[in-house]
Amino acid sequence: MTRRRHGRLVAGLLVLPLALAACSGGTDDTDGGDEGTGGETAATEGGTLKLWHYESADGAMGIAWDEAIKVFEEETGATVEFERKAFEQIQQTAGMVLSSDEGPDIMEYNKGNATAGLLSSQGLLTDLTDVAEERGWTDMLPESIQTTARYENGVMGSGPWFGVPNYGEFVTVYYNKAMFEEYGVEVPTTLTEMEDVMDTFVAAGVVPLGMAGAEYPAGQLFYELALSKADRDFVSAYQTYTDDVDFQADPLKYGAETFDAWVKAGYVAQDSASIKAEDMGVAFINGTTPMIVSGSWWYGRFVSEITGFDWGIFNFPGNTLNAGSSGNIWVVPENSANKELAYEFIDITMRPEIQALLGNNGGLPLNADPADLTDPKSQELITAFNEVLDNDGLAFYPDWPVPGYYDVLVAAFQSLINQSKTPEEVLTEIGTAYDDGVANIG
Amino acid sequence: MTTVTHPPARATTTPTRRRARPRSGQGTYWLYLVPGAVLFIGVIVVPFFMNLYYSMTRWPGIGEPRWIGFDNYTRLFADDTFWLSFRNSVAMIVAMVVVPTLVGLLLAAVLFDYLGKRFDGRVASGLRATYYLPQILPVAVAGILWGWVLNPQTGALNVILRNLGLESWALNWLGDTGTALPTVMLVMIWVQVGYPVVIFMAALQRVDPELYEAAELDGAGWFRRFRAITLPQIKPETFVVTLTCTIAALKVFGPIYVLTKGGPENSTNVPSYFAYQNFFPKSQVGYGAAIAMVLTVIVIIVSIIFMRVQAASERKEGI
Repeated sequence: MTRRRHGRLVAGLLVLPLALAACSGGTDDTDGGDEGTGGETAATEGGTLKLWHYESADGAMGIAWDEAIKVFEEETGATVEFERKAFEQIQQTAGMVLSSDEGPDIMEYNKGNATAGLLSSQGLLTDLTDVAEERGWTDMLPESIQTTARYENGVMGSGPWFGVPNYGEFVTVYYNKAMFEEYGVEVPTTLTEMEDVMDTFVAAGVVPLGMAGAEYPAGQLFYELALSKADRDFVSAYQTYTDDVDFQADPLKYGAETFDAWVKAGYVAQDSASIKAEDMGVAFINGTTPMIVSGSWWYGRFVSEITGFDWGIFNFPGNTLNAGSSGNIWVVPENSANKELAYEFIDITMRPEIQALLGNNGGLPLNADPADLTDPKSQELITAFNEVLDNDGLAFYPDWPVPGYYDVLVAAFQSLINQSKTPEEVLTEIGTAYDDGVANIG
Repeated sequence: MTTVTHPPARATTTPTRRRARPRSGQGTYWLYLVPGAVLFIGVIVVPFFMNLYYSMTRWPGIGEPRWIGFDNYTRLFADDTFWLSFRNSVAMIVAMVVVPTLVGLLLAAVLFDYLGKRFDGRVASGLRATYYLPQILPVAVAGILWGWVLNPQTGALNVILRNLGLESWALNWLGDTGTALPTVMLVMIWVQVGYPVVIFMAALQRVDPELYEAAELDGAGWFRRFRAITLPQIKPETFVVTLTCTIAALKVFGPIYVLTKGGPENSTNVPSYFAYQNFFPKSQVGYGAAIAMVLTVIVIIVSIIFMRVQAASERKEGI
């Protein structure tokens, strides 16, 4: 009897997963799949370059890298074995894949301490310092862009080169020119003027600022507000731990309090805590939102999808520092079998003609000849970006300092949008998570 | 008489074969279990012990894990988000087990007893398939669909409510800490209810109709028949439904990932999503493994309790 019951228990445990599969309604399967199945044949020395990136085929970078692949194959005679990956797929499996011999020879990867920094500290990425000097990349890229290329014990900003950025991105203000005209407001040049513009919209019953509390936009708005009171020392302390960061003092205090005040004033919709960035962007595309504070990654899409009205951008009023950085970086895994080919490919992506292609499709090139940038809309974006670069104004992103900080910031600013916590409580929450994270890194 | 005397005669002639046959039969029997056992060891036992090991390390996911003993567990039991996630698991059990089972029982009985007998059989089949439809939909699709419906600004639900003049009913369904969890629960009820309906309808088909006829002749009404015949007869299926759905509720991940990502302010976080947050975005694999370990132990305990209760019930009824 006992044996029978035990037998039933074992049998039950064996069939349980099958029953659960029927009951649970399935699970998200988007990030499994084809890691390590990079082609029918292994890369042969000199003949094949196994390349992974996650840019969309019709985006600025996707178009430029496609052309770079074509040029590379023509010039080297080598074959590129390309696989388009999902961002999260690479993000979540890079460590495991690069520890094996199934990884690519070159890969696009996310910059920052928690990503490229972590891999470099584990010896999984090739030190590119000598190559960067030999091939002149060190001279091509502005100093603030190089921050994301260098990692010292996993912390970005100094040390050897472990990645090569070749495009930029930054946070700016997108505005609907037609709505500005309709409500009789001008592009603001100071934060006070910005608030006046928003007051006009609020008085007319229009929520002036699109927001997406479920994702990155809330944290970036907070950071932009904080940066209006910050200097480069603060950015270094916050991002690279050169000094202690006091979360109950300006600039972070100003950022949280002003964010809170903007919610109270109706500048930010109080029902936006669950809104995703995509919804925020679509609302702007549909012409229902006068302004959004978000990244240059929207630009190309807005160019192609906004047809019913005129729109433009202006940098966050009064700020010399802005959220932004290089784009994602090319890394060469330590296990790469074709490093020289990988370096050659990076070199080709740096060429002015490839960079111009990127720039004319809504991207932000770092090594383009201005004469080659002919698209007027792209020129507007590049001009705004150059203004930030000229001020040495790239301040990176608020969630970079410690792993998992993105979720902390999202939850914290949902509290401010919902008005369920005070700015002080939010600052304490994000300050504690920051300190814990930094201690873990240390 | 012959039957009494014959067996001893056979026993004396083939004593060796009689002992050998069961042994050889048993050997063959165990052979059939080998593929399953190998899979069980490879897919469950080995990962289980690996996870147990990682739960006692500090490890970002690459490089060498650093042994820290029970530190992750000590930290876990003092972590408010961990306890909040388990409180939310109880809400998920209500949404994925209690309500769907009760509603499923009722729907199955009505479809089988009432609609199935009074209308063309296709009506009941059609309705059963309709209830089951959310189970067929990939959870990502269902989540995105509900995300659109429940968008506070442009979602169909709020737009309809506003058009009906019910502005105050148009809530921030997934964005407010007060409404997010109940809203997720409603979505999960929608997802789950078809599963018990299908299982219970299948169960009802194996109940001897003579029992109902006899009860009807004795003057028992629908509810009396439901209570005295239907419920006891489909008890094994009820155990299966409640057990599998309880475990699914404890480890629910996909719908939370797609609908709310545990927000707002962690108000819909659940243990499996909390483990995921630590495994991947935070690169705290050791801590994530500790959360997964606790969740696994709870699932195993729940399973054993259910199976024991079921076994006791079967013994009591002499099944």
